[in-house]
Amino acid sequence: MSVVAHLPRRTLSLTEEEADSPPAMHLTGRQRMTDADRSLSEEIYREFRGDHRHHDFVLGCLNCGECTTGCPAARFYDFSPREMLQIAQNGDATTLWDAMQEKIWACCQCYTCNMRCRFGNDIAGIISVMRELSVRHGIEATRRTLAPFNRSLTLLMTVGTQVSSDMIQPDFFRDWGPFATGSDKSWGVTPAIMRKAIPIDVLQTTTSSWEVSVQTSLELFRIYEETGVLDMLRGLDPDLTDMLIDIIEERREEFTEARERYRADLDRMQGPVATFSG
Amino acid sequence: MNPVLVLGAGPAGLSAASELAGLGAPTLLVEKETYLGGNPKRWHYSLLAPDLRPAEEILGPLIERVEHHPQIELHVGSQVSSAEIAGNGYRISLRSKEGVQTREVAAVVLATGFDHFDSRRKFEYGYGHFPDVVDFKELEGMIHDDRVLRPSDGKAPGRIAWVLCVGSRDIQIGNPWCCRMGCVVSIKQAVEIRQKHPEIQAYIYYMDIRTYGLWEDLYWKSMQDYGVKFIRGRIGAISMAEGGRRLIATGEDTILSRPTEVPFDMIVLASGMEPGTGTKEASDLFHVPVGPEGFLTPKLSDMNTIDSGLPGIFLAGAATGPKAIPDAITEGMGAALRAFQYARG
Repeated sequence: MSVVAHLPRRTLSLTEEEADSPPAMHLTGRQRMTDADRSLSEEIYREFRGDHRHHDFVLGCLNCGECTTGCPAARFYDFSPREMLQIAQNGDATTLWDAMQEKIWACCQCYTCNMRCRFGNDIAGIISVMRELSVRHGIEATRRTLAPFNRSLTLLMTVGTQVSSDMIQPDFFRDWGPFATGSDKSWGVTPAIMRKAIPIDVLQTTTSSWEVSVQTSLELFRIYEETGVLDMLRGLDPDLTDMLIDIIEERREEFTEARERYRADLDRMQGPVATFSG
Repeated sequence: MNPVLVLGAGPAGLSAASELAGLGAPTLLVEKETYLGGNPKRWHYSLLAPDLRPAEEILGPLIERVEHHPQIELHVGSQVSSAEIAGNGYRISLRSKEGVQTREVAAVVLATGFDHFDSRRKFEYGYGHFPDVVDFKELEGMIHDDRVLRPSDGKAPGRIAWVLCVGSRDIQIGNPWCCRMGCVVSIKQAVEIRQKHPEIQAYIYYMDIRTYGLWEDLYWKSMQDYGVKFIRGRIGAISMAEGGRRLIATGEDTILSRPTEVPFDMIVLASGMEPGTGTKEASDLFHVPVGPEGFLTPKLSDMNTIDSGLPGIFLAGAATGPKAIPDAITEGMGAALRAFQYARG
């Protein structure tokens, strides 16, 4: 009889669900899910894997970590674009569900990871697909995570925001762009000092970025209505959605009135203008 | 019998010419540079993996033999400017400073080799801007002369980092292939430096260590006997700190899953292998197809890398893809035999 036969057999204690899931994703300390959450997570997983963007964005991964190296969110949060890509590529319904609870919202969608990735993955893109799914399915955690941003969202959707060229101050971003190492003088400042400049710069641009014309705001909102963004938001927060619609309706009325007044004024001054059809 | 043309005098070409001469075939060895020995000679390669024997000990006798063999006609500083089929062989024009001459050859061995990747193309590493970011081909020369010093101030470095896969496995710059040499050469360099200067700390940033086959031994020994440290992750950017006195390597430690920023005194880039300029020219002259990577394509890559499938044309060395020096020398021998059989008819 061989020696091996006398040794106690080591068995892995896997639950039925774990035994069926991909081997790379046997994470410990998973939270128990309710039946409703489980079936929703499976539905989202099927939709996610079936999305043509998953096929286009997720190519493969050498786990080199260059995406995380450049990631601003990874510096401050327990977040890593590499982990997100790994989950998109190898994860099961539960791992995807876990990532979609909070982590995906740490991404600032700057697309630096895409620029860095030497495999050509669209990492920021696949994260935005996860976000879209979590909003469309009205995941409870998403509602909770996004609640503090309702004020910003209200401004964004009813007014809009814009970035103009004068808001970008290259002096603070010397370690950015193709000429980052171009001149020796630019390296008189250490990266630490340069990075300190970033939040200041953001503060400086907030006032001017909210100066959007009423017509542009209304056109933007029309886009949200027509493309289904508003329907997505309704699934997540119906009260907020109704409030946004109220604000916009009021503005539309104001805008229509203003236009009528303008038209009447024009008529008085010049006579009717045939081409002005509104 | 017309001579056999060997194009390129790196390890593969030298080996092919030497074997052909040994078989008694007249040989025309053409090299566009003014010296023999190719890249190893140009960059003063130090020790070779895996047995850590000096490159001169391997290439020296080959060069010696080729230089003095009566059957070998040497044309350094020369290039083949045109080629056409003539009988079973080729009629070629040889261009040099002295002028152009036309010759007929019975067979051709293409050993046009590789070029080291130009690390300036990975601008995020600051090669060419930061003096202490050096390419590993330059470090070979420094180790060879036992002058491993920071180019900026001539001081001995306290900590050196190697960045692997620079210009390899990278779709961004269009080089998705593995250079095969970066891992083993970097490890060998770290071992060489630690042998002579144990006070210097050596860190290697890697994604996968590909010390394939029997070379794995060097990888294990580098940790066991020489205390070389390995960090899994690719460096994303190199910047300067402390007023230019130190370099900062930014990356992710993908085992700890956290971003890292580590100061170093010197950073070495393991630049990959690209098809040599001569390889492109040889492909144009002799109509040997090149693959998407730009290397010459053998007829059946699965079987051997020597037969081009074209009459009388044989391939050797890094012209067909990244290759180690012993492989290039062995292929040179094989190509010599094939060319000799073809030339004899």
